[in-house]
Amino acid sequence: MMMNKNLVMNKDYLVPLLRKLAKTHRLVAPVRNEYGDTLFTIITDLDRTEIDLDHQPQASLKPYFFPQTDTLCRYVIDCDPATGAMDYSFHVQLPQNRPTVYVGVRSCDMFAVMYTDMVFLHEHERDVYYKQRRDNAIFITIACNTPFDNCFCNATRSGPFLESGFDLQLTDLGDRWFVETGRARGAGLTEDWACFFRPADEADKRAQFQAELEARGRFKQLVHVDLASKLLAEDKVPESIFRDLSSRCQDCGGCAFICPTCTCFNITDQPRDEAGGERVRSWDACTFSGFTAMAGGHNSVDVETGRIRRRFLHKLQYDVDRHGRPSCVGCGRCVGMCFGGVDMIRFISMISEAGENGAEAGE
Amino acid sequence: MTFGSGAMTNSIDEIGQAQVILVSGSNTTEAHPQVARRIYDAVDRGAKLIVIDPRRTRLARHAHLHLRLRPGTDIPLLNAMMRCILDENLVDDLFIEMRTENYFALRDMLLQVDPGQAAAVAGVAESDIRLAARMYARAQRSVICYCLGVTQHICGTGNVRSYANLAMLTGHVEQEFTGVDPLRGQNNVQGACDMGALPVVLTGYQSVTDPVALGKFARAWGVELSNRPGLTVLDMTHGEQIRAMLVMGENPVLSDPRQDHVIATLKGLDFLAVADIFLSETAALADVVFPVATFAEKSGTVTSSERRVQLMHQAIKPVGAARPDGQVIMALSERLGYPMRYDSEAEVMEEICLLTPIYGGIYHDRLDPGWGLQWPCVDRSHGSTQYLHKYAFARGRGRFEPAKHVAPAEAADEHYPFVLMTGRVYHHYHTGSMTRRSLSLMRECGRSLVEMHPDDGRRLGIGPGDPVRLTSRHGSCSFNADLTPRVETGYLYANFHFPESPVNVLIGDASDPIARIPEFKICAVQVERETA
Repeated sequence: MMMNKNLVMNKDYLVPLLRKLAKTHRLVAPVRNEYGDTLFTIITDLDRTEIDLDHQPQASLKPYFFPQTDTLCRYVIDCDPATGAMDYSFHVQLPQNRPTVYVGVRSCDMFAVMYTDMVFLHEHERDVYYKQRRDNAIFITIACNTPFDNCFCNATRSGPFLESGFDLQLTDLGDRWFVETGRARGAGLTEDWACFFRPADEADKRAQFQAELEARGRFKQLVHVDLASKLLAEDKVPESIFRDLSSRCQDCGGCAFICPTCTCFNITDQPRDEAGGERVRSWDACTFSGFTAMAGGHNSVDVETGRIRRRFLHKLQYDVDRHGRPSCVGCGRCVGMCFGGVDMIRFISMISEAGENGAEAGE
Repeated sequence: MTFGSGAMTNSIDEIGQAQVILVSGSNTTEAHPQVARRIYDAVDRGAKLIVIDPRRTRLARHAHLHLRLRPGTDIPLLNAMMRCILDENLVDDLFIEMRTENYFALRDMLLQVDPGQAAAVAGVAESDIRLAARMYARAQRSVICYCLGVTQHICGTGNVRSYANLAMLTGHVEQEFTGVDPLRGQNNVQGACDMGALPVVLTGYQSVTDPVALGKFARAWGVELSNRPGLTVLDMTHGEQIRAMLVMGENPVLSDPRQDHVIATLKGLDFLAVADIFLSETAALADVVFPVATFAEKSGTVTSSERRVQLMHQAIKPVGAARPDGQVIMALSERLGYPMRYDSEAEVMEEICLLTPIYGGIYHDRLDPGWGLQWPCVDRSHGSTQYLHKYAFARGRGRFEPAKHVAPAEAADEHYPFVLMTGRVYHHYHTGSMTRRSLSLMRECGRSLVEMHPDDGRRLGIGPGDPVRLTSRHGSCSFNADLTPRVETGYLYANFHFPESPVNVLIGDASDPIARIPEFKICAVQVERETA
């Protein structure tokens, strides 16, 4: 196994490096648009695009690997005029594989890609559509010296700095980037373009260590994720919490759509003309009542009180059972998204508080 | 009429800072989620929430006080509230003195109101009305949000005036974080009204009877203009006064009352042209249909509920033969002998600026980039206006317009024992011409349900999801039953999104005498279980 290398890059060199990489790769980086929204954007002209590394992108990288709607195949209906028999034939539509460099990816979003890999690329059950987009991706991540207002990746152990998963991890040291190489492709990249890098010296390493230390003290949110998982596993969460939060949920699905690790989908056939149509996969959300509605109209879940339960139990309990860790990466996006305030921070705060009170009452 | 302009006096963001929010006739979480978000924010910060609604809406469940009035009794309820404010000396005398007129007419009327009697009419406890009055009047920053539950009555104008009276009585207008906020529907209902899509006004609420305004338009357009008010939609779609019609982005066959009259009227026209993005039920009756561009296929501005004019950019080219509405109008006008030659949307906007004082400084280049400007914005040096009526009402002084209870046209009786209210549901939009094409939305809500109290269901032998037929004095229509305590016994609630359950066949054509808005919220019906 290759050892992680520590390098330093002058800040001025980022764009020149990306220009080199853009010759063979598509570039995706956070860009602030004229409305003040920072979004991961495909960069076609490096000179006219300003990469924004100061704000959290509003959406994660999820749509790049698992688009909101994705045509899986086209179907054609053949009708035998003699017998009237109908026959369907399916023609798979695989997305193009585009080698892509994702730049300025925050630790939480990098971690989320590793998590969705577990879902879509698990052993032999590989999702070809996801794999086609995911192959040949390079991640140049950025460690968070200053977490944003709703961030709690320290509590989910998915940031603010990562140990692995990235190709290159950049840490802002003021005038220069501290560069760590993770996967082999990242190390190769620093060798191919060695002119942009120099080895890190002791002072650089100390500065990086200092930045990492300080970042951990800068979180504004104190979120007890592990305690929440424990309370859920012990079935110590009062029913009233699910009820209260469910009553504020408006069934918009925004939390699942914005979540970097929510991967539920629905598949529908969409006729395009008489002769055929497309089979389309689109994002779904467990908070929708239609998610559990059965053909006869019966719903196995009382959505009015139970729709929130599915979501939080999946994130904090079922995934802990299955993967050994919660699937929340602490990015805080659901906090900004939900207009009813039915977000991860509020849920965990409510159950932690109830847990504490319960513990005190028990003593 | 009372303030001098029809729009939210506040900005949506201000609602989050209010101390007391009075929401009336608005299912805000479903119809205006972005407003509801601010209401939740305010409540989380400690604001008090009062909801006036016959239904136990989601917001009503979160309210500190839910006044579950009988539909159509806003006026007695508010008069009782105002009487209480008067009795307890919570009136803002200075504000009334400095900024309003006709106060004594209101006061004299209120002195004749018996709160106990009014409470009985409204079906609300008198003590709750007093509590609401104190909550609303005692806070410095109280906001009223209202919607179609207030306006869609034969006394809609009186209802709106009563809310304005309440706000002026307590001085809760013309400041930040306090005002009267009608919540508008589509992204551009406000813009349509601003552009004079009303019978009595030109753009920017300039009266068609004002010779100065009329002269200005006549000079700009080089034609003589009529100074007679036009017809209301209801007059156009019910009767024989009109011979030819161009309907743009509207589906009156489903959205107007007395569907049979609407269809007869449209079929009786000499000529009907419809411009829409899909072949709607109305378009199906047309002689000519213009396929027009969707929001993503055209440029221009929309004006939101908070008077904010925003620029939209074309994202994709129109699909197929579709054209932007503006081009359809220009081409038609050209054929009719009045060439309109606008090279761009910005050029149209320049004419709007020229002729519309409240839009005087809203040029396209000022809207891009960013989130636009809020009118009034009178010239290029004028910025955005966050809230209205600062220092003075648009009409000078705010005028108190006392209102008295008007009994609904469609009272329940022994033959039609239920009162049906109509409205919208979260997953669908108006006549469903867009939302019914979304598989996800149809999965969430795929059939037309009528809400009925479980006790009524039991009494009539109707189970959840059972087919039921509602019959009013005007027509008959089928639904599936949704048994829920959201409605009280004796009341029903249905939506008009589904062409297979065109609820407006049930609605009578009684309407408010001034605004001509139909009584969509009250309709006496009988209910029977349908045998499949």
